[in-house]
Amino acid sequence: MTPLRRDIAASIALVAAMAVVPLIFDTRYVITQLTVFFIWGIVVTQWNLVLGVAGIFSLAQMALFAVGAYGTAMLAYYGGMAMVPAMVIASLATVGVSLVIGFACLRLKGPYVALLTLAIAQMLYLIVVNDTGCFTNPPSGCLPLLGGVRGFSRFGDLGFRDLLGSKWFVGHYYVGLGLLLVAQVFCAFLIRGPLGLAFRALRDNPGYAMSRGVGRLKYQLWVFGLSAFFTGLAGAFYVAHFGVVGPIVFSVSMLLFLLAMIVVGGMGTVWGPLLGAAVLMIADEGLREVGDWREIGLGLVLAGFVILLPRGLVGLRRR
Amino acid sequence: MDVVLQILVSGLTIGAMYAASTIGLALVYGALNMLNMAQGALLAFGGYVCMYVMDSLGLPAPLGLLAALVTGGVLGLAIYALVTRPMLGSANFETQIFIATIGVGSVLQSAVLHLFGPQPKAQPLQIPGGLTLGGVTLPWQNVLIMGVTALMLAGVAWLLGRTRAGLAIRATAQNRVAAQLMGIRIGRVYAQVLMLSGALAAVSGVMVSSLSGLLPTMGADPMLKAFVICVVAGLGNVPGAALAALVLGVLEAVIQYLFGVQYAFAILLALVIAVLIWRPYGLFGTRQVVRL
Repeated sequence: MTPLRRDIAASIALVAAMAVVPLIFDTRYVITQLTVFFIWGIVVTQWNLVLGVAGIFSLAQMALFAVGAYGTAMLAYYGGMAMVPAMVIASLATVGVSLVIGFACLRLKGPYVALLTLAIAQMLYLIVVNDTGCFTNPPSGCLPLLGGVRGFSRFGDLGFRDLLGSKWFVGHYYVGLGLLLVAQVFCAFLIRGPLGLAFRALRDNPGYAMSRGVGRLKYQLWVFGLSAFFTGLAGAFYVAHFGVVGPIVFSVSMLLFLLAMIVVGGMGTVWGPLLGAAVLMIADEGLREVGDWREIGLGLVLAGFVILLPRGLVGLRRR
Repeated sequence: MDVVLQILVSGLTIGAMYAASTIGLALVYGALNMLNMAQGALLAFGGYVCMYVMDSLGLPAPLGLLAALVTGGVLGLAIYALVTRPMLGSANFETQIFIATIGVGSVLQSAVLHLFGPQPKAQPLQIPGGLTLGGVTLPWQNVLIMGVTALMLAGVAWLLGRTRAGLAIRATAQNRVAAQLMGIRIGRVYAQVLMLSGALAAVSGVMVSSLSGLLPTMGADPMLKAFVICVVAGLGNVPGAALAALVLGVLEAVIQYLFGVQYAFAILLALVIAVLIWRPYGLFGTRQVVRL
């Protein structure tokens, strides 16, 4: 069996196993936490493609997530659009934004890319938060065009409340699981397929690869744009699931949490990011008691893994 | 005319603050190819230590500044010993150390939060009053900030240009392997550079907080701006960074006056992106001929 088929088979097996979970545990807490895990799983698998496979040191991933999330919320809130078309349009808009960022940043080298993407993310955050003029005046009070500090709420949902009644969250669980399956299979295709091969060639022998017509910028833009689609979609689903979106999606601690998932699991591998996401979410659950120390713990985990175990948990097995 | 002068004064003060927080970053990147994301937390640490020494221990201001300097240096040394040294020579050093310092920054910032609490505090290092010259007021605080920055810049210039240690730092920055072959102990050079940049960061933290007040997260904003300045100047270029800081400071003051405070950073960033598309290696950076 080729590695690609093995990965796809593993993905399907895992999803099948996860699909049984709501039939066994039907406590809302477990199901909702797992749905959140699916969302972060999509984000980290896609970010991992950008960081670990294409070698683009971008920190704009949560900004792209936010574009998908805010886009969906604003289309539904102002345009009165149904959730599903809003989600698709917002995801496509995310691709557009990512291509603009890509054209501005990808000509630069590693650390410049990191700083510039971080600056762009920060700029978007400031634009959202500093927007204080009232655009509309709903009953809940003044609402700026981009939602301001408060963000958006009450813009509709996926309609599972009518369909499943009090078990609506199970609907979200399956939607999230389905999206994660698609994202993970895409990720496996990219790493094992021609694009992944192109990047491996560019890494191992850049001169030969480029003389054979494998241009770095072109392939980097492809990965950046395609992964932005799923990232935006994850953002859109986040909005549909929680029913609110606010500037917290830009926060540094969230960026740190997701970056730590990739580093802990193993950057550039097919399964590392998902493993890291699972480990860190469980650890986070355990650390809920000592909430104040969460940031210190995250920082230590991030630094410790980079220093002592730079290839992550997946790298342990290969040694 | 008065307005122009007033803008120039506040712009130069902002620029001086930026320069103070930027040179440490530029120095570390120049010598080690290491982007130190913990810089912002070092700024906060400096500001809080100075506050603690002056308010809680009741010691005079120069001792507060000195304490901040020493704390910054010690933290810089600790970062070298615990993070940089084990990672030297690892694959993808530039990327990996960047991620590691993000973690270190988070730890240090939370440490500040736990030691000093989340409430905003005032920096006691203040000089009241000002100098009025023909309708333009020049607060002593701004004079102090510009003076301290000038002193720091002069000190770094002297250290790099006139001392043996500075020669070793420049040699290492130019060519790590050749410097090592000439008998320079690069481990010591790295330790010195990180100590120096930590100390500079702490002092600039005191300066920044004397205007904006103390918060555990106060370092994030100056650090991001310092990075932007480094990028505009060309990473690792120390004199270029100082100049770019002053220019961007004045520019920010002008933008604030013309368009309002909330747009200053966004417009600044747009300009920076434009600069980078025009000159991807920074304004004063030399084109690195990397054919592949």
